[in-house]
Amino acid sequence: MTITLGFYDSAIDFGLMTEEATPLDAEAKRIQFEEQAMPLAPYLYSAALKNTRGNYYDAEDLVQETFIKAFKAWHQFEQGTELKSWLSTILRNTYINKFNKKKKDKAVGGLDDLEDWQLGSAESMSAVKELSAEVESLKALSSKEVNAAMRALSPEFRSVVFMAIVEQLSYAEIAEQLEVPIGTVMSRLHRGKAKLRKLLAEFAKSEGYNVEGEES
Amino acid sequence: MTEKVMNCEETKRHVHEYLQKELSEAELESITTHIANCDHCEWEYDFEAALNRTIQMSCTETPAEEIAEKILERIRSIDLNDIQH
Repeated sequence: MTITLGFYDSAIDFGLMTEEATPLDAEAKRIQFEEQAMPLAPYLYSAALKNTRGNYYDAEDLVQETFIKAFKAWHQFEQGTELKSWLSTILRNTYINKFNKKKKDKAVGGLDDLEDWQLGSAESMSAVKELSAEVESLKALSSKEVNAAMRALSPEFRSVVFMAIVEQLSYAEIAEQLEVPIGTVMSRLHRGKAKLRKLLAEFAKSEGYNVEGEES
Repeated sequence: MTEKVMNCEETKRHVHEYLQKELSEAELESITTHIANCDHCEWEYDFEAALNRTIQMSCTETPAEEIAEKILERIRSIDLNDIQH
Protein backbone atom coordinates (compact mmCIF):
# COMPACT_ATOMS: atom_id res chain seq x y z
CA MET A 1 0.00 0.00 0.00
CA THR A 2 1.31 3.39 -0.89
CA ILE A 3 0.63 6.55 0.96
CA THR A 4 0.24 9.63 -1.14
CA LEU A 5 1.75 12.65 0.42
CA GLY A 6 0.15 15.03 -2.00
CA PHE A 7 1.45 18.51 -2.27
CA TYR A 8 3.78 18.29 0.74
CA ASP A 9 5.69 15.72 -1.17
CA SER A 10 6.13 17.81 -4.25
CA ALA A 11 6.49 21.04 -2.32
CA ILE A 12 9.47 19.63 -0.50
CA ASP A 13 10.83 18.31 -3.78
CA PHE A 14 10.71 21.73 -5.26
CA GLY A 15 12.12 23.27 -2.16
CA LEU A 16 9.08 25.43 -1.53
CA MET A 17 8.69 24.38 2.05
CA THR A 18 12.27 24.79 3.13
CA GLU A 19 13.60 27.71 1.20
CA GLU A 20 12.92 31.14 2.49
CA ALA A 21 11.16 33.34 0.05
CA THR A 22 13.24 36.23 -1.14
CA PRO A 23 11.51 39.62 -1.55
CA LEU A 24 11.49 39.12 -5.31
CA ASP A 25 9.80 35.74 -4.95
CA ALA A 26 7.16 37.26 -2.75
CA GLU A 27 6.51 40.06 -5.23
CA ALA A 28 6.31 37.63 -8.14
CA LYS A 29 3.90 35.47 -6.20
CA ARG A 30 1.72 38.40 -5.35
CA ILE A 31 1.50 39.34 -9.02
CA GLN A 32 0.78 35.75 -9.96
CA PHE A 33 -1.93 35.54 -7.34
CA GLU A 34 -3.53 38.77 -8.45
CA GLU A 35 -3.53 37.66 -12.06
CA GLN A 36 -4.86 34.19 -11.48
CA ALA A 37 -7.06 34.33 -8.42
CA MET A 38 -8.59 37.80 -8.50
CA PRO A 39 -10.62 37.26 -11.69
CA LEU A 40 -12.46 34.53 -9.79
CA ALA A 41 -13.77 37.01 -7.20
CA PRO A 42 -17.26 37.32 -8.77
CA TYR A 43 -17.60 33.54 -8.89
CA LEU A 44 -16.59 33.20 -5.26
CA TYR A 45 -18.87 36.02 -4.25
CA SER A 46 -21.93 34.28 -5.67
CA ALA A 47 -20.87 31.06 -3.96
CA ALA A 48 -20.52 33.01 -0.72
CA LEU A 49 -23.95 34.57 -1.17
CA LYS A 50 -25.45 31.11 -1.44
CA ASN A 51 -23.57 29.90 1.60
CA THR A 52 -24.72 32.83 3.67
CA ARG A 53 -28.24 32.72 2.23
CA GLY A 54 -28.16 36.16 0.80
CA ASN A 55 -26.40 37.88 3.64
CA TYR A 56 -24.34 40.42 1.71
CA TYR A 57 -22.21 41.49 4.64
CA ASP A 58 -21.26 37.97 5.58
CA ALA A 59 -20.70 37.08 1.94
CA GLU A 60 -18.29 39.97 1.50
CA ASP A 61 -16.44 39.04 4.66
CA LEU A 62 -16.31 35.46 3.57
CA VAL A 63 -14.89 36.29 0.15
CA GLN A 64 -12.31 38.63 1.63
CA GLU A 65 -11.22 36.12 4.18
CA THR A 66 -11.05 33.39 1.57
CA PHE A 67 -8.74 35.45 -0.61
CA ILE A 68 -6.50 36.42 2.29
CA LYS A 69 -6.18 32.78 3.30
CA ALA A 70 -5.63 31.72 -0.28
CA PHE A 71 -2.95 34.35 -0.69
CA LYS A 72 -1.14 33.26 2.44
CA ALA A 73 -1.31 29.66 1.26
CA TRP A 74 -0.55 30.48 -2.36
CA HIS A 75 2.70 28.51 -2.25
CA GLN A 76 0.57 25.44 -1.61
CA PHE A 77 -1.44 25.84 -4.77
CA GLU A 78 -0.23 23.53 -7.48
CA GLN A 79 -0.02 25.39 -10.75
CA GLY A 80 -1.98 23.58 -13.44
CA THR A 81 -4.65 22.26 -11.12
CA GLU A 82 -8.13 23.72 -10.89
CA LEU A 83 -7.83 27.04 -9.08
CA LYS A 84 -11.59 27.47 -8.87
CA SER A 85 -12.03 24.33 -6.80
CA TRP A 86 -9.00 25.13 -4.67
CA LEU A 87 -10.52 28.49 -3.80
CA SER A 88 -13.97 26.96 -3.35
CA THR A 89 -12.58 24.54 -0.81
CA ILE A 90 -11.02 27.37 1.16
CA LEU A 91 -14.29 29.26 0.97
CA ARG A 92 -16.27 26.29 2.21
CA ASN A 93 -13.90 25.64 5.10
CA THR A 94 -13.84 29.29 6.04
CA TYR A 95 -17.61 29.36 5.99
CA ILE A 96 -17.88 26.30 8.21
CA ASN A 97 -15.41 27.69 10.73
CA LYS A 98 -16.73 31.19 10.72
CA PHE A 99 -20.47 31.09 10.33
CA ASN A 100 -21.88 27.66 10.63
CA LYS A 101 -22.05 27.46 14.36
CA LYS A 102 -25.06 25.25 13.92
CA LYS A 103 -27.20 28.03 15.24
CA LYS A 104 -30.86 27.48 14.77
CA ASP A 105 -32.81 30.05 12.93
CA LYS A 106 -34.54 31.70 15.81
CA ALA A 107 -38.04 32.88 15.15
CA VAL A 108 -38.81 36.40 16.18
CA GLY A 109 -41.52 35.87 18.75
CA GLY A 110 -45.01 35.75 17.40
CA LEU A 111 -44.38 37.84 14.32
CA ASP A 112 -43.95 34.84 12.05
CA ASP A 113 -47.05 33.08 13.14
CA LEU A 114 -49.34 35.66 11.71
CA GLU A 115 -50.44 34.75 8.27
CA ASP A 116 -51.08 38.24 7.19
CA TRP A 117 -52.82 37.55 3.91
CA GLN A 118 -55.57 36.28 6.16
CA LEU A 119 -55.70 39.49 8.10
CA GLY A 120 -57.14 41.34 5.17
CA SER A 121 -54.98 43.39 2.89
CA ALA A 122 -55.46 47.08 2.65
CA GLU A 123 -52.52 47.38 0.27
CA SER A 124 -54.03 44.93 -2.21
CA MET A 125 -56.87 47.35 -2.75
CA SER A 126 -54.65 49.86 -4.49
CA ALA A 127 -55.88 50.86 -7.89
CA VAL A 128 -54.65 49.21 -11.06
CA LYS A 129 -53.10 52.42 -12.29
CA GLU A 130 -51.04 52.67 -9.15
CA LEU A 131 -49.72 49.21 -9.74
CA SER A 132 -48.78 49.95 -13.31
CA ALA A 133 -46.92 53.05 -12.14
CA GLU A 134 -45.20 50.91 -9.57
CA VAL A 135 -44.05 48.42 -12.19
CA GLU A 136 -42.67 51.29 -14.25
CA SER A 137 -40.81 52.79 -11.34
CA LEU A 138 -39.45 49.38 -10.44
CA LYS A 139 -37.89 49.11 -13.88
CA ALA A 140 -36.23 52.47 -13.38
CA LEU A 141 -34.45 51.39 -10.21
CA SER A 142 -30.85 50.27 -10.37
CA SER A 143 -29.49 47.03 -8.97
CA LYS A 144 -27.69 49.10 -6.39
CA GLU A 145 -30.96 50.35 -4.98
CA VAL A 146 -32.55 46.93 -4.98
CA ASN A 147 -29.46 45.63 -3.26
CA ALA A 148 -29.72 48.33 -0.65
CA ALA A 149 -33.34 47.38 -0.04
CA MET A 150 -32.36 43.72 0.32
CA ARG A 151 -29.69 44.70 2.82
CA ALA A 152 -32.24 46.63 4.79
CA LEU A 153 -34.34 43.52 5.38
CA SER A 154 -33.86 41.64 8.61
CA PRO A 155 -31.85 38.43 8.17
CA GLU A 156 -34.84 36.11 8.67
CA PHE A 157 -36.74 37.77 5.86
CA ARG A 158 -33.75 38.25 3.60
CA SER A 159 -32.77 34.58 3.78
CA VAL A 160 -36.20 33.45 2.72
CA VAL A 161 -36.51 36.05 -0.05
CA PHE A 162 -33.06 35.13 -1.33
CA MET A 163 -33.64 31.38 -1.20
CA ALA A 164 -37.07 31.58 -2.80
CA ILE A 165 -36.40 34.13 -5.50
CA VAL A 166 -32.72 34.00 -6.33
CA GLU A 167 -32.01 30.36 -5.61
CA GLN A 168 -35.54 29.39 -6.66
CA LEU A 169 -36.00 26.83 -3.91
CA SER A 170 -39.46 25.54 -3.07
CA TYR A 171 -41.19 26.34 0.20
CA ALA A 172 -40.52 22.80 1.34
CA GLU A 173 -36.80 23.03 0.58
CA ILE A 174 -36.49 26.34 2.38
CA ALA A 175 -38.43 25.05 5.38
CA GLU A 176 -36.12 22.06 5.59
CA GLN A 177 -32.92 24.07 5.33
CA LEU A 178 -33.96 26.69 7.84
CA GLU A 179 -35.69 24.17 10.08
CA VAL A 180 -38.87 26.21 10.32
CA PRO A 181 -42.46 25.29 9.36
CA ILE A 182 -43.61 25.89 5.80
CA GLY A 183 -46.17 28.41 7.05
CA THR A 184 -43.32 30.45 8.50
CA VAL A 185 -41.49 30.35 5.17
CA MET A 186 -44.59 31.56 3.34
CA SER A 187 -45.22 34.26 5.88
CA ARG A 188 -41.61 35.49 5.83
CA LEU A 189 -41.51 35.55 2.05
CA HIS A 190 -44.74 37.46 1.93
CA ARG A 191 -43.66 39.95 4.56
CA GLY A 192 -40.16 40.25 3.20
CA LYS A 193 -41.44 41.08 -0.26
CA ALA A 194 -43.99 43.52 1.12
CA LYS A 195 -41.21 45.29 2.99
CA LEU A 196 -38.99 45.32 -0.12
CA ARG A 197 -41.79 46.72 -2.14
CA LYS A 198 -42.29 49.51 0.34
CA LEU A 199 -38.60 50.35 0.40
CA LEU A 200 -38.35 50.32 -3.38
CA ALA A 201 -41.36 52.59 -3.67
CA GLU A 202 -39.61 54.99 -1.30
CA PHE A 203 -36.43 54.89 -3.39
CA ALA A 204 -38.43 55.44 -6.54
CA LYS A 205 -40.23 58.36 -4.99
CA SER A 206 -37.06 60.02 -3.79
CA GLU A 207 -35.63 59.67 -7.29
CA GLY A 208 -38.60 61.53 -8.63
CA TYR A 209 -40.53 58.69 -10.18
CA ASN A 210 -43.87 59.73 -8.89
CA VAL A 211 -46.15 56.87 -8.04
CA GLU A 212 -49.55 58.00 -9.16
CA GLY A 213 -52.35 58.20 -6.68
CA GLU A 214 -50.13 58.87 -3.71
CA GLU A 215 -50.76 62.09 -1.93
CA SER A 216 -47.78 64.03 -0.83
CA MET B 1 -61.12 18.10 -5.54
CA THR B 2 -63.84 20.55 -6.23
CA GLU B 3 -63.11 22.91 -9.01
CA LYS B 4 -63.61 26.48 -8.11
CA VAL B 5 -62.26 29.78 -9.17
CA MET B 6 -60.09 31.28 -6.49
CA ASN B 7 -60.95 34.64 -5.05
CA CYS B 8 -58.52 37.57 -4.94
CA GLU B 9 -57.15 36.67 -1.52
CA GLU B 10 -56.39 33.10 -2.48
CA THR B 11 -54.99 34.14 -5.81
CA LYS B 12 -52.68 36.61 -4.18
CA ARG B 13 -51.58 34.02 -1.73
CA HIS B 14 -50.47 31.66 -4.49
CA VAL B 15 -48.47 34.12 -6.53
CA HIS B 16 -45.13 32.70 -5.52
CA GLU B 17 -46.02 29.10 -6.34
CA TYR B 18 -47.46 30.31 -9.59
CA LEU B 19 -44.29 32.08 -10.60
CA GLN B 20 -42.19 29.13 -9.49
CA LYS B 21 -44.46 26.71 -11.31
CA GLU B 22 -45.17 24.78 -8.13
CA LEU B 23 -48.94 24.49 -8.54
CA SER B 24 -51.15 21.54 -9.29
CA GLU B 25 -53.00 21.66 -12.59
CA ALA B 26 -56.31 22.34 -10.88
CA GLU B 27 -54.84 25.24 -8.91
CA LEU B 28 -53.11 26.57 -11.98
CA GLU B 29 -56.32 26.52 -13.95
CA SER B 30 -58.24 28.14 -11.16
CA ILE B 31 -55.71 30.96 -10.93
CA THR B 32 -55.45 31.43 -14.66
CA THR B 33 -59.21 31.77 -14.83
CA HIS B 34 -59.21 34.28 -12.02
CA ILE B 35 -56.42 36.37 -13.51
CA ALA B 36 -58.13 36.42 -16.89
CA ASN B 37 -61.12 38.06 -15.27
CA CYS B 38 -59.49 40.27 -12.70
CA ASP B 39 -57.37 43.21 -13.80
CA HIS B 40 -56.19 43.89 -10.33
CA CYS B 41 -54.81 40.41 -9.76
CA GLU B 42 -53.30 40.37 -13.21
CA TRP B 43 -51.37 43.51 -12.34
CA GLU B 44 -50.40 42.06 -9.00
CA TYR B 45 -48.95 39.05 -10.75
CA ASP B 46 -47.14 41.21 -13.27
CA PHE B 47 -45.76 43.27 -10.46
CA GLU B 48 -44.61 40.24 -8.50
CA ALA B 49 -42.91 38.83 -11.59
CA ALA B 50 -41.19 42.16 -12.22
CA LEU B 51 -40.12 42.38 -8.58
CA ASN B 52 -38.69 38.87 -8.70
CA ARG B 53 -36.72 39.64 -11.84
CA THR B 54 -35.39 42.82 -10.27
CA ILE B 55 -34.28 40.98 -7.15
CA GLN B 56 -32.65 38.24 -9.19
CA MET B 57 -30.76 40.75 -11.28
CA SER B 58 -29.57 42.73 -8.31
CA CYS B 59 -28.22 39.61 -6.65
CA THR B 60 -26.45 38.16 -9.63
CA GLU B 61 -24.70 41.42 -10.40
CA THR B 62 -21.92 41.30 -7.88
CA PRO B 63 -20.18 44.31 -6.48
CA ALA B 64 -17.04 42.45 -7.58
CA GLU B 65 -14.92 45.51 -8.22
CA GLU B 66 -15.46 46.96 -4.79
CA ILE B 67 -14.70 43.67 -3.11
CA ALA B 68 -11.68 43.02 -5.31
CA GLU B 69 -10.27 46.41 -4.39
CA LYS B 70 -10.64 45.73 -0.69
CA ILE B 71 -8.97 42.35 -1.12
CA LEU B 72 -6.09 43.78 -3.12
CA GLU B 73 -5.52 46.41 -0.51
CA ARG B 74 -5.29 43.78 2.20
CA ILE B 75 -3.16 41.45 0.14
CA ARG B 76 -0.68 44.20 -0.63
CA SER B 77 -0.22 44.83 3.05
CA ILE B 78 0.72 41.22 3.71
CA ASP B 79 4.40 40.42 3.60
CA LEU B 80 4.79 36.91 2.27
CA ASN B 81 8.27 36.76 3.75
CA ASP B 82 6.69 36.64 7.18
CA ILE B 83 4.59 33.66 6.31
CA GLN B 84 6.42 31.10 4.25
CA HIS B 85 8.89 29.84 6.76
